[in-house]
Amino acid sequence: MAAGVLTKGLCGFRQPRIVAAGYSCSGPLYATATAVKTLPLQTDSTAVTDKIQNLPLETPDFFHLSELFSLKDLFDARVHLGHKKGCRHRLMEPYLFGSRLGQDIIDLDQTMAHLQSALNFTAHIAYRGGIILFVSRRRQFGHVVESTAGDCGEYAHTRYWQGGLLTNAPIQYGSGVRLPDLIVFLSTLNNVFQQHVGVRDAAKMNIPTVGVVDSNCNPSLVTYPVPGNDDTPAAMELYCRLFKMTINRAKDKRRQMELLQGLSPPGLTQGSS
Amino acid sequence: MAGSRLEKFGTVFTRVRDLMRSGVVKQSDKPIWYDVYKTFPPMKDPLYVRPVAKRYGKKEEAVPDIFYREDENRAKFYEGCGTGPRAFDLSKSSFVSTCQRFVEKYTEFESQGELEKQSLFEETGKALLAEDLGLRRRGIPAVASETRNPVLGMKLTDMLAEQQADAPGGTRAPGKEKPTQVPLNPQ
Repeated sequence: MAAGVLTKGLCGFRQPRIVAAGYSCSGPLYATATAVKTLPLQTDSTAVTDKIQNLPLETPDFFHLSELFSLKDLFDARVHLGHKKGCRHRLMEPYLFGSRLGQDIIDLDQTMAHLQSALNFTAHIAYRGGIILFVSRRRQFGHVVESTAGDCGEYAHTRYWQGGLLTNAPIQYGSGVRLPDLIVFLSTLNNVFQQHVGVRDAAKMNIPTVGVVDSNCNPSLVTYPVPGNDDTPAAMELYCRLFKMTINRAKDKRRQMELLQGLSPPGLTQGSS
Repeated sequence: MAGSRLEKFGTVFTRVRDLMRSGVVKQSDKPIWYDVYKTFPPMKDPLYVRPVAKRYGKKEEAVPDIFYREDENRAKFYEGCGTGPRAFDLSKSSFVSTCQRFVEKYTEFESQGELEKQSLFEETGKALLAEDLGLRRRGIPAVASETRNPVLGMKLTDMLAEQQADAPGGTRAPGKEKPTQVPLNPQ
């Protein structure tokens, strides 16, 4: 049975965070139970926490993510290769550089900018302790995606997506379920080349999405689309590596800031990283 | 917690912003991503785009074809030599294919500017052949580097006839006989 995010918790740092045992990913192999912890209320340090929370927003690239990738890296990983002209989606036309003998070539300059924006958003969400869900219905890369999610302490869903996963979560998983704060689609299509249900459902549940959109995908509902190839193993490994490094960086930074400000030791690390 | 499930109207951000503005969602229940989105919005608003009916009339080319000036030379190469003798090794980013070397040589000769158009092609072909790439024209078999052993072209009957002509006189032994078994003629 497909499993989503099952951590029980309350949003907001002012309230005590109670996290019940939850399971990540799908299937019994990836069950990582998060410990039951209760952080004490710290009314005197809310101002400090506020400051920590909002400090990264002042710099455009607080986590120095532009040094993680370059245009050459994208080219070598074959990110610029799209599908054939006949498969092209109308809405992807602005992101294409041209078509070489019928094969669409994605404009890597635009991809660089979009990727920077997407990684930055992911980093900020991870910094604030948000839950990130990696989704990909490509069976070839299921393992890569799941191991990436495990490595950065976040969650992945690479199996069959049950219809009410997000929209009917309280019934399917019990009341008080905490839904993901960000969904990262490493491929926005499902196995029959239609848009993944998760894209529409995330928009319904007001959850922002980051998605790698190939030349046959619909980028309209994805909050932070990243035009790029989603079929080559090299490209997928590049994306997974970038997301993993971004999230780890953001979480490390958060721990560092909390230690510097002298708050109680960081209690809520979701899984090991 | 209240929400708005209308993904076809506005963006995720506008819906949450309006819910907060109207007081349905309290400030304390503000989603984690709200401030981040406000500070770093995406380049294009993620508005839902309705699928439009098929466009009639002449479709203007929104995505241009990519062609280079060297493509003419590449076409000539492939016309003359079929697919090149060497397979493409795309795992190396610095790989130079036979066609690419042809094109580079061609542009080199062209920039020197001494030869005229017709001979350029010939000259490039000759230059590459000199570099021993194993190029060959389509339809013309490859030139062998070693000549066929002339012994293989000889016929046994001719050899026999020669032998008999050499051997003194008379015996005209019929049929094929191996040269080593020439009967001793009683002299």
